[in-house]
Amino acid sequence: MSARDVEQRAAAWIVQRDQPDWTSDDDAELRGWLELDHAHKAAFWRLDHGWRAADRLVALKQNTATVNATARRTRWRYAAMAMAACLICALALTVMLGIGRNRAGDPTAVRFATAVGGQRDVTLADGSRIKINTDSALVAEVDRTSRDVRLDRGEAFFDIAHDAQHPFVIHAGDRRINVLGTRYSVRRDGATVRVVVVEGRVRVEDAGSTAGAAAIVTAGKVAVAHGASLLVVDRSPQVVEDTLSWRRGRLTFDQTMLGDAVAEFNRYNRQQIRINDDRAARIRIGGSFEATNSAAFARLLHTAFGLEVRTEGDTIIISS
Amino acid sequence: MMGDDEILRRWFVDEVLPLERDLERFIARHSRDRDEVADLRQETYARMLAGAAADLPRSARAFLFTVARNTLIDRARRAKIVSFEQVADIDIAFDGDWDATERGLTARDELRRAMAGLDLLPARCREVVRLRKVEGLDIRETAARLGVGRHTVERQLTLGLRAIASYMLGGEARIVRTAARQRDKETG
Repeated sequence: MSARDVEQRAAAWIVQRDQPDWTSDDDAELRGWLELDHAHKAAFWRLDHGWRAADRLVALKQNTATVNATARRTRWRYAAMAMAACLICALALTVMLGIGRNRAGDPTAVRFATAVGGQRDVTLADGSRIKINTDSALVAEVDRTSRDVRLDRGEAFFDIAHDAQHPFVIHAGDRRINVLGTRYSVRRDGATVRVVVVEGRVRVEDAGSTAGAAAIVTAGKVAVAHGASLLVVDRSPQVVEDTLSWRRGRLTFDQTMLGDAVAEFNRYNRQQIRINDDRAARIRIGGSFEATNSAAFARLLHTAFGLEVRTEGDTIIISS
Repeated sequence: MMGDDEILRRWFVDEVLPLERDLERFIARHSRDRDEVADLRQETYARMLAGAAADLPRSARAFLFTVARNTLIDRARRAKIVSFEQVADIDIAFDGDWDATERGLTARDELRRAMAGLDLLPARCREVVRLRKVEGLDIRETAARLGVGRHTVERQLTLGLRAIASYMLGGEARIVRTAARQRDKETG
């Protein structure tokens, strides 16, 4: 096969793989093809990566609503499709994706929510991407004049499109987080807000006062805000990466007390884990686990530490 | 745990693919035939993965250009058309290629680039890609919407995918024109 034939074949695989009728047999066949030759892998990985990079085009879909409303400078060929797409777009947003309008008469505010154990990728009209973690809810309001997100509960990772004219502002409880363009996560547990910055810098401030305390949080730092206090700590790149391993569906612990680890697991699962005694809760554990498989985690505790594990209804009970 | 293959894939995607533009320029400078660039690029990647599979190199850039240079030299030897001076020249050019990196597009650049790439496609191909990427339709739905056969949609989508992927990786519109020519041949 010439390089061009290999590329053509790899492209055909990617097209097929994204179809709804793709089966596990197809998947096995694809894996077999990839194993045959490094040239196959190179072509497939390359096209897959390049093709995914164009996923941001989905932003055009949400844009159609604002395009009509604001007469944004639109290329003529998009203008024609916008009319037709608008109705489909509104239907898709409300029915298929389960997004409702937040306020009547405000077409740019959309609400996104995930169930326990769920995760969701969202691309906003400005091209920014959000990965929403388990049991979370946020409202995004992005148009040509402002970019605002309100995190009602849970956690999300933000990959913000740079736009110096329009800072991206996240409201989480009584905190306001301001950025121009960067990558970071925000987690809200009731009144506690935690910000982990991977790239760039963000400003965390009190939402209520403009003169109040504000902190600049840069890459590799974690800020935890509760009430009037705001703590900023330095973290190694490894720790930052571990903290964000949920984006790959995993929880990563290092010398973490079992009680804290279990609390993390319980965010992702309906089946809750309860620890019966303090001695077990203080055991330090490490490792990387599948976030939505608390049963497997519990089995490991039994195997590795000899802890007693039993299930009562929807609860897994652990004791020494 | 991550499989070995997954580690290799991530390294390839994160460290090597961002260098594609430089790699293609480098190959183009030392290749007489423009059509050869894609083949040589592909051969370089395949050799590089074979070499990196056991142990990931410390510097993706140095490794990639070393492999590219060897690929070019082998090609020249096989073809017996290149003088020794030209082969020696490759070493000199290799040193000059180090700083010309353009890494990491921002989200907004990426969207802009994807839109520009879409615009470069021939009309029918563009519509098929748009329905896939913007509206999220599958092949069956696209065929129904456009009133054409599944096979046509598949072919257009495959061509569009190759063109857009190359474009997103920093390639020029050249491959897109190849796709357009092929389309014209196939449909007319």
